[in-house]
Amino acid sequence: MRTAILVVALLAPLSGLAQESPYFVTYDHHMEEPGNLEIETQSTTDVPRAGQKYYFAPWTEFEYGVTANWTTEFYLDGQTTANDSTIFTGWRLENRYRPLKREHWVNPVLYLEYENINEADRIQKELEGGAPDVSSPNAVLRREIDRELETKLILSSDYHDWNLAGNFIAAKNFTQHEGIEFGYSLGFSRPLATLASATNCRFCRENFSAGMELYGGFGSTLGFGFHDTAHYAAPVIAWAVSDNATLRFSAGAGLTHESSPVLFRFGYSYEIQGFGSKLSQLFRGKQ
Amino acid sequence: MRARLLTMSCLLALLAVSLGQNMLYWPDPTWRAPEAVSAKPNPLAHKPWAAAGGKKLFLRSCAECHDKDGNGLVKKHSADLQLPVVQQQSDGALFWKITNGNTGRGMPSFSKLPELERWQLVLFIRTLKPAS
Repeated sequence: MRTAILVVALLAPLSGLAQESPYFVTYDHHMEEPGNLEIETQSTTDVPRAGQKYYFAPWTEFEYGVTANWTTEFYLDGQTTANDSTIFTGWRLENRYRPLKREHWVNPVLYLEYENINEADRIQKELEGGAPDVSSPNAVLRREIDRELETKLILSSDYHDWNLAGNFIAAKNFTQHEGIEFGYSLGFSRPLATLASATNCRFCRENFSAGMELYGGFGSTLGFGFHDTAHYAAPVIAWAVSDNATLRFSAGAGLTHESSPVLFRFGYSYEIQGFGSKLSQLFRGKQ
Repeated sequence: MRARLLTMSCLLALLAVSLGQNMLYWPDPTWRAPEAVSAKPNPLAHKPWAAAGGKKLFLRSCAECHDKDGNGLVKKHSADLQLPVVQQQSDGALFWKITNGNTGRGMPSFSKLPELERWQLVLFIRTLKPAS
């Protein structure tokens, strides 16, 4: 019952964006358009190793374009594990700021995120430090609270319709002595067609984009390197199912023993154009 | 003569505001495409049929701020794309502006669209004509 409630709550925004980047983990330099609100529901699940249980970790994301170079996002994370429990695992607040006004060969974006989650969180929106614990029961993991400040340097470039992006992560957990943890993600993607047709076709190639992501952890200041870290190589695909909605899918192959053999991700996003002005109209005095 | 001109201008401005159009749009003088880019020809210039795809993209990505007919919205401070001050710009300059945006004035960058789609937008913008 609790599983059903969680799934319904996290999938609630289902109903109807312009072509979005196919990435799940990597950020590029394209910001949300000012005044637009994008509601996304995504999930991570894996094929467990022997002795581990299946889990499903959905999250809902609210992304708002404050200005043309500042985007803010709020996340609600959850998780359900087979033969264990379904739990809310915390929230995140992130901000991305693009300092340069024009397009350059390499476009930097500064990223700052505050997380208030517990160790049972398995959305793996980014990987930093060591691999997540997917073996301990939820009752134990949820007692360990992580209040974390995460920074990223996002470098992204568009070259002949290809997007190339690299994110470099440094995160500090204020509730546990883990040192400063590091991670990375790299991605490239391209739309399948570069000329828009006149018709509103839904299965045309122009509505699809595909690419690849590579992401993982680099350990921490207590032990930097690849030891006990998870890494994935994941093909990604996005399909703009309507002017406002995009579906995304990724199947990541684990590259180290600490990784899951396969990590599946599904995503659905819906963009409300002009949300900011619609909201401000509600609070404006009657004429 | 001068008074009549002034009255006409005021009436025109009032009409524009009442219709929600931004005929009073005045471009940002610092937002200029480099000369080399301005001189770039539209690779789709000999494919006028591609403007139809440009219209679709315009309605999807631009109409929110520039309105369906491209005449701009006062409340969004967006450009009236039918104005000569816009139409007199070269294809290359319009392409550069769509690509880079002008974040200080609220115009986002649309570099996420493929290059040809941005040229399609330029083709469509050329078809925008003031209502007679």
